Amino acid sequence: MGDHPAVEVRGLHVAYGSTPVLVNVALTVPAGTGVCVTGENGVGKSTLLRCVSGLQRPDRGTIRVFGGEPGATPEFWRAVVTTVEPPTWYPGLTTREHAELVCRAHGLDPGEAGIDEALERFGLAGHADAIPPSLSSGQKQRLTLAVGLLRPSSLLILDEPEQRLDPDGRGTVAGLLAEYLRGGGSLLLASHDDTFAVASGATVTTMESLSAVTT
Amino acid sequence: MTAVPLAPVRRWISRRQSAHRDRGATAGTVYFTVLFVAVVGGMLHQQLAVIFWPAAPDATRLAGGALVPVCFGVLYLALRRFGPLALSRPAASWLLPAPVSRRRLLLPSLRLTAVAAAAIGALAGIAIVGHAAPRTVAGAVVALLAVLAALTGVALLLVALAAQAGGRWGDALDAVASVLLAAGLAGLVADATGNAPVAPGRWPSPRPLAMLTGAVALIVGVAFAFAVRGLARTPNDRILDAAKTAGTLFDSAFGMEPSFLTDMIERRYWSRRRLRSVRLPARVPVLVGQDLLLAARRRRRLLWLALGTALPVLLAPAPHWLLGAAVLAGALLAASTATGNVKTDAGNPVLLRMLGLSSRQAVLERMWVPGALAALWTALALTVLAALGDLPPGPWWALGLTLGPVGAVAAVRRARVGFVRNELLPLDTPMGTVSTGPLANSAIGPDALLLGLPALVEIAQGRPLSWTTVLVQAVVGGIGARAYLAGSTDANRVELTAAR
Repeated sequence: MGDHPAVEVRGLHVAYGSTPVLVNVALTVPAGTGVCVTGENGVGKSTLLRCVSGLQRPDRGTIRVFGGEPGATPEFWRAVVTTVEPPTWYPGLTTREHAELVCRAHGLDPGEAGIDEALERFGLAGHADAIPPSLSSGQKQRLTLAVGLLRPSSLLILDEPEQRLDPDGRGTVAGLLAEYLRGGGSLLLASHDDTFAVASGATVTTMESLSAVTT
Repeated sequence: MTAVPLAPVRRWISRRQSAHRDRGATAGTVYFTVLFVAVVGGMLHQQLAVIFWPAAPDATRLAGGALVPVCFGVLYLALRRFGPLALSRPAASWLLPAPVSRRRLLLPSLRLTAVAAAAIGALAGIAIVGHAAPRTVAGAVVALLAVLAALTGVALLLVALAAQAGGRWGDALDAVASVLLAAGLAGLVADATGNAPVAPGRWPSPRPLAMLTGAVALIVGVAFAFAVRGLARTPNDRILDAAKTAGTLFDSAFGMEPSFLTDMIERRYWSRRRLRSVRLPARVPVLVGQDLLLAARRRRRLLWLALGTALPVLLAPAPHWLLGAAVLAGALLAASTATGNVKTDAGNPVLLRMLGLSSRQAVLERMWVPGALAALWTALALTVLAALGDLPPGPWWALGLTLGPVGAVAAVRRARVGFVRNELLPLDTPMGTVSTGPLANSAIGPDALLLGLPALVEIAQGRPLSWTTVLVQAVVGGIGARAYLAGSTDANRVELTAAR
């Protein structure tokens, strides 16, 4: 990944129909650091995260993730974990087996990957044998985060990871994200909760401050 | 709690709804339905006659006896699958929690289902009599037997109704019905393999039959009255489940999108299962291990699949190209039992991104288990056919094994198909408008069975099978699978669908 910043966005423009959502947005997330974008609903946080994840094509502007274009390649998705899209689950596979599947796909030994500890930390140990669709929305959110943190990655792009979590859960997740940053990972997240963002070790910035509007 | 009378509420709803509809829309629907039935009946009356009343009885006693559990077993299982007591989705949302009489709310649904069950039962009865009874049997006997069959249909509905409201014994009864159905199918297969003469036995005379029918009618009538009385006791969750099924059924029919229904059945199945986490098989590639686990968790399906290998025997008297086509279709069905995970990945690539695998690697790994199932199924089916002398000599088991890749390609292609494209131009034919979207959609997947053409031709020709044909089929299947993989996936893309 070299010396490139984890995320570098320049002159990003996105409009839905005639409504501009992102106007001339610039953002840099240096490798090994975290940035948390805050702002009201509808201000374009999720759109920005979707563009950085390569899931949405911007109207104009450049996006670089570790110096390369975000894309659909396996290499990109081995480096990046994102939760900007609602998750789906495989039929007939339990919570624990989903975690094991992801670990094994990344070449990890499921015995040493710490699956049970991860489920325990995210409060899912009692639901290891449940199928994910039977979990509550908060538990599904925690499962996605648990699986995302179990597998190796260099950049986490998380859309409001604190949502649907109880106060204890928020503290746990923020601690784990801070640990991820200390381990050399990079973090881009959108959040409504400044306390959570600060606890996760990310620099808080507002959506407005990213937009250099020149009208 | 005082119950609000339901009839005025229903009248009010109906009046509001009719304000939205075009004038005469209902009459138009009735007209088109009648016209459709008349046109299709006119077109297919010869085929219908073959099904319900052939020129001469053509079923042995074994076949006639086996048809009874087959027809009524399917009816019972279908009733259980769809409820049998259901409400429309709006009624389930708005009227079920309202203070209206539960019995009155559910009665129309019960009445409609009873009429349908009676009609289907009667049709099944007539068909069985038509195939098995000598043409000397009196008309009154046929009519009485049809009535008896209709009453049986209603009786099955009442049992299904009790099972819907009851506890776990309903599941046990479903298993019994499945076993009876399997026994019936086995009887049909056994009949097709034997050479028993079509010798109709003694048929009952009208008098005792009339008494029996009267007694059954009385019992069913009393049971029906009890069922109506106890209607209010059907638990809400069961009715809501059935309402969801009915709604999804209509969505599927109107949107011409069968996947709505199959997805719902799949979701419901897994939500009822109690699973225990196991280690994924470590010696095989990760996605193959996952598919193996999924297949192993659906043992009943595998059992049906294994029993199904005997079904092509039923087609042995038919032209052999039809037999070949049935074997290929069986390969597709067998492979399809293990494509649930491809379907998930094709619908939403979120998990594939989490796994970080390329689409090529993912599809390649996902083809192994379907391919193995298709290979085993066709090998078994062809071996059974050959053992019973319905195929000329030759290494048919080997030909069956070579059809594995063909079944895998067809099933994976089918699982990756998206929603029906209803925006495709409709075709205007003299018989009416045909929408091409569902047609094109239903062909995706089965079209890949063309890779099994060498096997189909070989079965159709009825010549002894040579190893050359086996080799040709193996090469065609292998190259076809490689070409499918190369053409539809990319080593540099995660998503299963190409970017548009």
